[in-house]
This record gives sequence, structure tokens and C-alpha cells, in this order.
Amino acid sequence: MAEAAILKTQDDDDMAGVKRDYKGNRKETNPGMPKDVVRNEYTDMFESFRDSLDQHHDRRQKIGKVSRDVTALSKKIIFSLQRVRKLNEPIPQNISSEIEKRTKEIKELLATIVDDVAGLRRYQYSMPGIEEFVEAVSFAHYLETQTLITPDQMQAALGDDVPILITPADYVYGIFDLTGEMMRFATAVTALSGAMPSGFMGEEADSGRTILEDLQETSSMLQIVPPIPGKGWKDKKAVMIEQVAKVERVGYGVRVRGNERPKGVGYDFDVGEEKAPVMD
Amino acid sequence: MASNSATAMIDPAIFQFLQSHAEQDIDVNEKLHQITAVLNRQISTAQGYLSRIHSTPTAKIQPLLAQIEKEGIQPAISSIQELGKFASNYPYYKYNQRWSRSVQNLVAVMLVTAWLGGMGSESRPGEQGRLLRIEEIGEILEVPINLTDRDEFHVTIEEYILAMTDLTEELSRLAMNSVTMGDIALTVRISSFIKDLFAGFQLLNLKNDILRRRVDAVKYHVKKVEDVIYDLSLRNLIPGTVGTS
Repeated sequence: MAEAAILKTQDDDDMAGVKRDYKGNRKETNPGMPKDVVRNEYTDMFESFRDSLDQHHDRRQKIGKVSRDVTALSKKIIFSLQRVRKLNEPIPQNISSEIEKRTKEIKELLATIVDDVAGLRRYQYSMPGIEEFVEAVSFAHYLETQTLITPDQMQAALGDDVPILITPADYVYGIFDLTGEMMRFATAVTALSGAMPSGFMGEEADSGRTILEDLQETSSMLQIVPPIPGKGWKDKKAVMIEQVAKVERVGYGVRVRGNERPKGVGYDFDVGEEKAPVMD
Repeated sequence: MASNSATAMIDPAIFQFLQSHAEQDIDVNEKLHQITAVLNRQISTAQGYLSRIHSTPTAKIQPLLAQIEKEGIQPAISSIQELGKFASNYPYYKYNQRWSRSVQNLVAVMLVTAWLGGMGSESRPGEQGRLLRIEEIGEILEVPINLTDRDEFHVTIEEYILAMTDLTEELSRLAMNSVTMGDIALTVRISSFIKDLFAGFQLLNLKNDILRRRVDAVKYHVKKVEDVIYDLSLRNLIPGTVGTS
């Protein structure tokens, strides 16, 4: 009892977490300092292992952080791109400048880990941010050119300053995600314009390739090629097929009912061209 | 109206790119499966022979170790070399999970065999209590270790550390059985060795991964041996300490 009382009165202005010996005196601790070890013939070996493992963990942490930031920035690019309303045309200035800024940030972030993912380390650490970046870049590329970006173009998008390999898996899983963005774009623009987006949107809506056809073609390709190992090929494939089906229903809908209301209804809700005065 | 078929959605090169990568992957996996199936069989054989250490008295251990080396380890080493040659053509970390466990198991067999006095070479005869270092493992397997500067097959530090936890587990079992077989000196030797390794393991800063789980288990190996030592010392059965009380 007496000892307990002493324990409470001593140094009671101290923060919690002070280690004490059995008499209640605080113990000296040197946080961060290695414990005093009795060295034996294996100590050196374990110390060198410790250094290697520490480097490995630090590197993984650093890469993980950059990857998360790249993911967040890529998602913002994708959100911006979903405000575009026209296919196969240059992206409007206000959106493209925003995208450029974020792309620059992504490249700067990736430039800080070039050495950490060089050579054999590229496959050692997971970097899901790259896949997300492929999704963003391929979506911009599709909206502007109405074509699927090639692996070479994708690698080139990263630039010579960021020599990080975009693996076949990064590429193809990014393209799986692209189909989701294409679906979102297709349904939104069709709802607003009353026609399935195509390269010849406007006066002759039926004349160019539609986004539905592009989706169908992409989906077929990804069903034909054998799986490339990565995270969840099967699931992504199933989701993609569902997305294409959804756009097919939208396409059917506008064909059957599209003429029942004038095209252009809904343009008032178009947020993509907000307050931009018509310049031409 | 002119169709824009000149710019199709998908460049045929994309198709070829994906097709060839997927097919290459299938081929690589098939070949790896072939090699590792043989390797795992050889390792199982080695592990099977190795299990006899628990019923083989120290005096008769050498022929057994020779057999483990000749019929288990040696064939596995040639498989490892085949694996190394093939796997070095592809990114190491893309496929290493296909063989990492096998490498760990083989290294563990080598560690135990060497510790008991096997795995001797002309330059260095085998002796009881010897821990094969990772560098020696690399020399015996004739593959690099812990590569950081080039993308080739190698034995990683992680695989070696995991194999050391297999060694402490195996020796903790042997500590008990060697008492049964009447070789208490061996038990004492195991005890001091395991404690040294345990002190080493405690130097590692581990994250929540397989390495941590395995290294955490080492304390149970230590405890198992301690219990045996306790039983012995209680009854004054440890040579050299008799009569000290």
C-alpha cells in the first residue's frame, strides 16, 4: 500500500508511458538506440541483414506513398475528363490545362522513385498508381483521337525524364478500367445529347464510329487474349462485359425512343461547357 | 461519307503485344512448373532422409548425412541451376513466388545437414555446429545471392532467414531426441547455438509479414530446448555441471 502511494506521488507531472523499475524509479531508456547485445559470432551477419531489410521496408514505404498520390491525381484527371462532351476533338482548354498540371505533378512524383523501381525492383514492389495513370492517360487519348492508346504511346506519355517501365500488366489492367470510364462518358453524353457519342457527332450522327462500337471492339480483344497475370483478370473481365452491355442498352434506347424528343434536350444541363462563350 | 476506317479503334499492334505477352507467360509458367515439380520431389526426398536424424545416434550420423547430400541435396542443386538459367531470362520478382518456398526448403535442409557435420568440402571439412552462411549457400548452389544490381536468379536474404527458422525448429526437436538417444552433449550444444541465433533474430526490425511470423516462432523453439535443459539440469544430467550443487 505504502509503495503504491509513493508511486503515485512521484513525478506525477510526468507524461504517461514512463518505464519504471520495481521501486518506482524511472528507467533510462534510449529510444532509437539499439539494445545492448552480447555479441556472438552471428551478430555481424544479422546486423547486415537488418540493414538490408530496413532499406527494403523504407523503399516499399516510399514507393507506396508515391503510388497512392499518383492514384489520387490520376482520379482527379479522370473526373475532369468526364466533363468533356465531345469525342475525337481537342479537349477544351479549361480542362486540358488542369490535366496538364496534374500530369506534371504525377511525373514529378514518379521521378523521385526512379532508382527505387529500377531494374529488378520494378516487379518487387507493387505500384497500383501506374495502372490508374494508364487509365487517365488512355481516357484522354481516347477522347481526343477516338483510338486506343498503344503500349508504346503509353510509355512515351511518361517521358524520358521518368524512365519507369510500364509493364504489360499495368497497361492492360489500366485499359480494363478505361472501359468503365468510356461507359460513364457514353451514358452521360447520350443522356444529354440524345445520341450515342461518335467521332462525327453533330449533323451526321450515324456516320462515324460510335463509342459503343469502340467499347465492343475493346471488350472483344480483351476477351480473346489469354489472361496476363495481375490482380483479378476474371473479375475485371466480368465487370467490363457488364459495362458494355449497359452501353448497348443505352444505344438501343436512343435508337428506339431517340426520335421521340428533339436532340439537344438536356444540353442546358451540360456542365462541361459551362459559361464558355461560343467563340466561333 | 468517308468512313474513318483509316483510324480504327485498335491498332493491330496492341493485339499482338497482348497476345504475345500472355502466351509467353503461359510458356514460362509451364516450364517453371516442370522444373519446380522435379525440384520439389528432390527436396521431399532430402527432407525424408533428413527426418532420420531424430533416430540416428551421433556415432552413425555421417553415413546418413552423406546419403542426404548424395541422394537429396545434389540432385536438387542441379535442378536449382536449371531453374536459375531459365528464370534469369525473365524479371526475377515477376516469378519468384513460384520457387521461393522450394529454395527456402532446400536451404533449410542444407543448413541442418551442415550443422550436424555434413556439407564438407575439400577446403573446409564438415564439423558439428557449423552454420552455413548465405555466401556459402550461394557457392554450393552456384547461384548469386542477394542481387540488387542485376535482374537474375538468386537466393534472397529473406529465403535464407526463413530457412534459419526452419533450422532452429528442426534442432529444437533434435534437442529432445538426442537426450533419448543418450547424447546430452549435443542437446547442450543445440541450446547454446539456438540462443545465439535467437539473439541475432532479435536484431531484425520486422514488419507484419511472413518473416515476422516465422521469426516470432523461434522463441518457442528456444523454449522447447530450454525445457529439455531444465529437465536435465534438475537431475544433474548435464555433463560438466554434475556435483556443482
